[in-house]
Parts: sequence; C-alpha cells; structure tokens
Amino acid sequence: MRERIKRIMKEAFELSDVPDDISQKNCGKWDSLRHLQLVVDLETEFDVSFEPEDIGSMESLVKIEEKLKLIGK
Amino acid sequence: MKYFVFRNYTVEPFFKGFEANFSNYEDVSFIDKTADAYIWFYFSPYKLDSDIAAKEIEHYCELLDMVYSNIGADKDFIVFTMNVLYKINYVTSNKVLENAVAKYNEKIYSMPAKVIDISDFYRNFSAEQLIDWKYYFLSQTPVNPKLSSQFGKWFLRQIEILEMKRKKCIALDLDNTLWHGILGEDDIKMGEDYPGAAYRFFQNYLLKLSRAGIILAVCSKNNEAEAFDVIQNHPDMILKKDTFSAYRINWNNKVDNIREIAEELNIGLDSMVFIDDNPAERELVKQALPEVCVPEFPAKPYLYPVFIKQLTDDYFSAYKLTQEDFDKNRHYKKNAERNVYKKQFTDMDSYLRGLEIKLTIEKLNEFNKARFAQMTQKTNQFNLTTKRYTEAQIRTFADNGGLVLGLRVKDKFGDGGIGGLAIITIDGQKAYMDTFLLSCRILGRGIECIFIKYVLTKLKKMGIAYVKAAYIKTQKNEQVEKFYDSVGFVAIETFADSVNYELELENKEFSLSDIYELEDLCESE
Repeated sequence: MRERIKRIMKEAFELSDVPDDISQKNCGKWDSLRHLQLVVDLETEFDVSFEPEDIGSMESLVKIEEKLKLIGK
Repeated sequence: MKYFVFRNYTVEPFFKGFEANFSNYEDVSFIDKTADAYIWFYFSPYKLDSDIAAKEIEHYCELLDMVYSNIGADKDFIVFTMNVLYKINYVTSNKVLENAVAKYNEKIYSMPAKVIDISDFYRNFSAEQLIDWKYYFLSQTPVNPKLSSQFGKWFLRQIEILEMKRKKCIALDLDNTLWHGILGEDDIKMGEDYPGAAYRFFQNYLLKLSRAGIILAVCSKNNEAEAFDVIQNHPDMILKKDTFSAYRINWNNKVDNIREIAEELNIGLDSMVFIDDNPAERELVKQALPEVCVPEFPAKPYLYPVFIKQLTDDYFSAYKLTQEDFDKNRHYKKNAERNVYKKQFTDMDSYLRGLEIKLTIEKLNEFNKARFAQMTQKTNQFNLTTKRYTEAQIRTFADNGGLVLGLRVKDKFGDGGIGGLAIITIDGQKAYMDTFLLSCRILGRGIECIFIKYVLTKLKKMGIAYVKAAYIKTQKNEQVEKFYDSVGFVAIETFADSVNYELELENKEFSLSDIYELEDLCESE
C-alpha cells in the first residue's frame, strides 16, 4: 500500500522521489491545493471517501497509511 | 499556451496539465501581462438568497467589463457561460437568479470574446455527480474535482473548436448506413416509417453537414449503376448524386478506395471520417489507415440521433463558419469540372487563359480575419512554415507594420474565395516571409508563382532591399521544399528540418504573366 500512496504523491506533488517520512511540514510542494489533488487521487485509487475531519489530519505518509488501514484497506 | 484564469471559486484542479495561473477569488486588480490568453471562468454563487446571488452576478458583469477593457486586443479572451447548478426553491415562481444568469450569458455572447458553453460539459453528468459538497466546503471547488480529467479533455476539444480544427470529409457506406436494406436483396427503405425514418434522419443530418462545408463521399461495395439508380430515383432519397464530391462504389477494398478519395479531393487522410455499419470493414480501415477516424456505428437505427450528436461534437463542430466553408462543396465540384475542362486543351497557357482567372489581393480586415486565421490553422500541404495563428495574432502582425495579404481567386466557373495568404514582417529595408500558404483547392494553375512574384514586386516598390524566408519541413509540406529556390531565393543555411533563404531585390525584375487579371485592393485605398 505504501508504494501505491507514494506513486500518487509523486504525481500530485510532481516529485521524482517520495521519502518515507514525507509530511506537510518537510515537503515544500505539499500545499493546500496539492493536498486537495492528493485526496481526490487517493479516494479514486483506493475507492474510499474520507471525511473532512480525516482529510485535515492526513498530513504525512504515515498518517495516510494509518487512516487507510483503519477504514479496512 | 500560457493561460491566466479569472475566477470566483477554486478551479485549479480543472486546469491540471495546462500552463495556467489564477487570479485571486473575484479579483480583477491584477492582470498577468505575460499570459498568452485569458480565461474568464465564473460560477453562479452558491448563496441561499437568490437576490444576493443575482446582485453578485450583476457585479461579475462589471468586473468582466473592467478586465476586458484592460486586456490587449492581441490576446485571446475565452469566456465560459454560467449555469445555475444549485438553487433552493423557496418560491418556485421566483426566477431572479435564472434571469441574472441569462443576462450574464447574453452579455458574454455579445462581447467580441470566444465563448465556451459550460452546459455542454454539465450535460454529461447528473446533478449529484456535478457537485461534491464535501470538496465545496473544504476547498471552495464549485464542481466535483473528480471530474477534472474529463473536464481537461472536453476543454481541449473546445479550444480546438475555437481554433476551427475540424474534419473535412465524411466517407459513407451505403447499405444499412445511408439507407435500410441491402441493394439487390432487400427493399431499400428510407421513408417516413421506422426503420426508414431513422435513415432519413441521418441523411438530413448529412445534408446539413454538407451545407456547413463538410465534404460528403461514398465508399461502398455495390454495383455502381445499381447504387446510382437508388440515389437518383428513389423517391425518399434526400441526398442526391451531386451532394457527393467523390465516390468509390465498387468491389475493391475500402482502404484503397479511401486513399483514392483523399487523393482525388486533395485532402489528408487525417481529415477523413469513415462511417460503415460493418465492423469488419471498420476494423480493416482502422488497422491500415490509423489517421482516418472510424467511429463506432450505432447498434440500432433508432440510435442515430445520439450517434450524430457525438459525431458532430467529436469531429465537425466549428465555432464560426466563414463564407468559404459554406461554399466549399461547390468548390470541390468546380475543381472536378475544371479538370474535365483541362483535358480539352493541349497547351497549358491557352487552358489557363481560357479560365479567365482573376486574382485579387486584399489586406487584413474585419471580414477576412476569420478566414486568414483559419487558413493558417488548416493549410498543410502548400505551406512554407506551417505557423498556426489566431485572429488576434494575425492582427498583431498588421499592427506592428507587417504586411498581411490575402489572395482571392475567381475564374469563369466561380468565386474560389480567399485561398492564399502571405504574412511578411518588415524591419527597415529588410522583410521576412513569416507565412506563405495556398489552400490546396486553388493549386495547380500557376497561382502560387504569380502570387509570390507579386508579393516580391510589391516589397520592392515599398523600398525593401532584401527578403529573408524559410522553409520549415513538416510531414505534409514536401511539395514546397524547393518553392523558394524556384523563384530565385538563395539558400544560406540548411538544417535537417529547415532551410533559410535570402533574396536581394535590387536589379531583380519579376515578370507578372498577363494570363491572370490582377487587382490589388491595398493600392486602390
């Protein structure tokens, strides 16, 4: 799953490589618009619908992975 | 193409993959001067009070005026229409919001802008699909961001339509395509009863296309005499023999027939759409001629209305049509008549004299600007540099002191319309041939030669000392590779895909053949 998330991040953030510890804090490209793109792409890829509360807290690769596991993916 | 988008909601996701910058929400105080084109994309505000929403829309009109008056006329301005996507009907007879939106749309269509009708995109989705309220509340997206890739595709097609890119010719099978039934086996039906009525619907559509300048051709496996018997004599047949500009009705394979039709009409295979009910024929053409568009055929005759709507959206829509488009079918037929006429003469000169060709040079004006731009967009074969321009870009050449000259061709058979264009930039005593092109339907009568000679003579008269020019190679313009050499230009640099030329005008005289009557409207001003 991590690789799938990374692939989506790569595209949404236009990065050549996505480190495991990527987060909104350490990634300059992760702005609010690209966050929107990321969420849209994740919902499509994993066929899920996040709640607004979750979307705000999905601020790192680790947290996104946790969230997806929590909803049974 | 770099866009600058004026907007009142978050629309960034919809322009993914495009080079675009965005205004602040409802802000017109900053206009990005580096943009190549501007887009105005405002949505009806999602307000619960219609009166307030209507007032805001009125305000948008003022903002739009402000922006429009501050954008240079040399840049394209693309404006989206507005739709009411969400409204609560407290009082069903209250149409304040709808009226405001209608007024807004009326306004944008009256502006000299290029309008894209957003409802054409919305039409493909349900109300539930169009808005995702979660994303609206999270990030002010007025339309579901998951539709962004579909939007991108649709938007690209709309831009093509604005640039007048459309297919030129539709090649049609006959049995069970143009009419119901198989010749020699069944009753041929295209009357008022189903299924005939569906084919009649299709034929009426084709007639309409033909009047809008799309060339109709027949490509069918039948006996030619039998087929023409139906076409000429069946009482319910709407299309007649002379509606078709070319036909191949024989038992040869359709790939060769389509190739021949393209050659005869002097158009590229990538300008053709092939319609056939037989999946095997479609597959064959698709495999052998990937440039030809081969749409799927409707499964049932009653699906023709859906089919032709899609066909038009995909291939034949145009933003505006010029007089030349309306006349085009006539021209293609006239050319065929000319070819017959040609056979009666043995020497070319007397043939040409007999045609009574009259050439008129005209400079850029309000009436011909759409045609000029269209020629740069569509001319492939006789085109030295194949530079594609919008109306606005062409106007810029003229505004900067360049020469923009159109060539109108008439002969005893009719008015061929504007078929040639030269764009020349001028810098003191030097001139540069930016664009030199001729539409293929006027080629073959020495017109290209007299046109370039006339242009050079004109430049010399204006005091130009030497002229630079270039041939830029494309997949389609091989026939003009040596054109500049043939009129005396000297190649000074040769690259793999281009050649740069120079020509000194001093001591050069260009003999203008008296076969052609020549009139220069720029001189008479």
